[in-house]
Amino acid sequence: MRLRRGRVLQATFGCNPNSSSLGVDVTFLLFGATFASALAIVLGALLRKAPR
Amino acid sequence: MKLQVVRARAERFGGIVELERPRALLHVDREMMRALGQPESDLWNGPEEGPLSAPREVHVVLSRKCAAGCKGCYVSATPDGAALSYDEACRILDELATMGVFHVALGGGEALELDYLFAVAAHARKVGITPNLTTSGLGLDERAAARCAVFGQINVSVDGVGKAYQEARGFDGFRHAEKALRLLRAVKPEVGVNCVVSRSSFQHLGEVARLVKSLDLNELELLRFKPVGRGASLAEELTLAQSKRIYPLARWLMLRHRVRVKLDCSFAPMVFFHKPSARAAAFFGVQGCVGGDVLAAVSPEGALMGCSFAGRAEADARVPGAMQQAWSKGFGEFRDFVKTAPAPCASCDYLQLCRGGCRAVAQAHGPFMSPDPGCPTVQAHQQRRSLPVVRALEA
Repeated sequence: MRLRRGRVLQATFGCNPNSSSLGVDVTFLLFGATFASALAIVLGALLRKAPR
Repeated sequence: MKLQVVRARAERFGGIVELERPRALLHVDREMMRALGQPESDLWNGPEEGPLSAPREVHVVLSRKCAAGCKGCYVSATPDGAALSYDEACRILDELATMGVFHVALGGGEALELDYLFAVAAHARKVGITPNLTTSGLGLDERAAARCAVFGQINVSVDGVGKAYQEARGFDGFRHAEKALRLLRAVKPEVGVNCVVSRSSFQHLGEVARLVKSLDLNELELLRFKPVGRGASLAEELTLAQSKRIYPLARWLMLRHRVRVKLDCSFAPMVFFHKPSARAAAFFGVQGCVGGDVLAAVSPEGALMGCSFAGRAEADARVPGAMQQAWSKGFGEFRDFVKTAPAPCASCDYLQLCRGGCRAVAQAHGPFMSPDPGCPTVQAHQQRRSLPVVRALEA
């Protein structure tokens, strides 16, 4: 049986200074779902190594 | 590369983790929270769906004071407008910190006109919240710019370059805004531009993107014009053709000028009209109205609302404990849209992400819970309904 190791579900980068609405970064949409999946795996791996 | 977790907060699905470098907020599942050594949460005993336990970000509209008198000001700011006092602002920040809020966006009015702005920002840092700022930059000098190092991200409002600025805002303030950008950029790299995209300013967006590149700023945030406040009297909402073009244009500006381009949440219907990858959109947090969930706002009169543009007052944020109490029960008008969405939103593949577009724009034209009338798909639906043959067929 493979142990579940936890996943990154969503990632938003930077801070939103806009006092009226939430800014969404469309830059990454260009790269599509494959890039999102790859980034989730990389971030997950790095996060598990993060100092506690 | 090592990531450093600054803070984490439990949620039904797992939790939200804040990173310092790169500056990011990550939603992670329950297993990852455990892997990170976070304590078990009661929230993990129930279903994974539901609103967040607290907003991720709160927009604190510190005042309606502003001497600029922009013709489209959404809070109808005046030189004598209402303001939260220093004590009130700090007490609100204390409660937001207790709730686990990560970021606040401080604005107005013109927040720089308040002599206690930097003290409020310092207090936010002290209680563990990242303060961010939007300003017109009017009157910003070298000394004030240096003090702006306390903020996370600072964006200066620039709705056009040169004369286009004056046409958009009603006064000649471009060189002040440009000077402010230069002064701020000399202090920190996290400086960008907010640009309201209206029917008139649409054609000048390329010049604004060029300015962002030439001043080496870190982002251009495009904000949809909304007919609220003084803007309600202006015929500046985007045309159908502009609404269809804004997303391709944002991508083109990004590639052409190599700048980071962001669109505000009210542009979600215009993004999803082009059918981008839903999985990528969900992962990168590209969503429509997240008022009363990811986002909340506090008005200068102390009203806690789902969004600073729209919604009713759910609590008096100045009363201790009122925000925490209201959060668990209130905001139904924002949170229930997906469950009760009317046509054509109900059958849209992107409903879960788009959430019916912007409630403020919907409210400006009709019922709060109606679909965003600026959405190209909604407009096509309404046009079909108005054709007598279609009406007869539907009957």
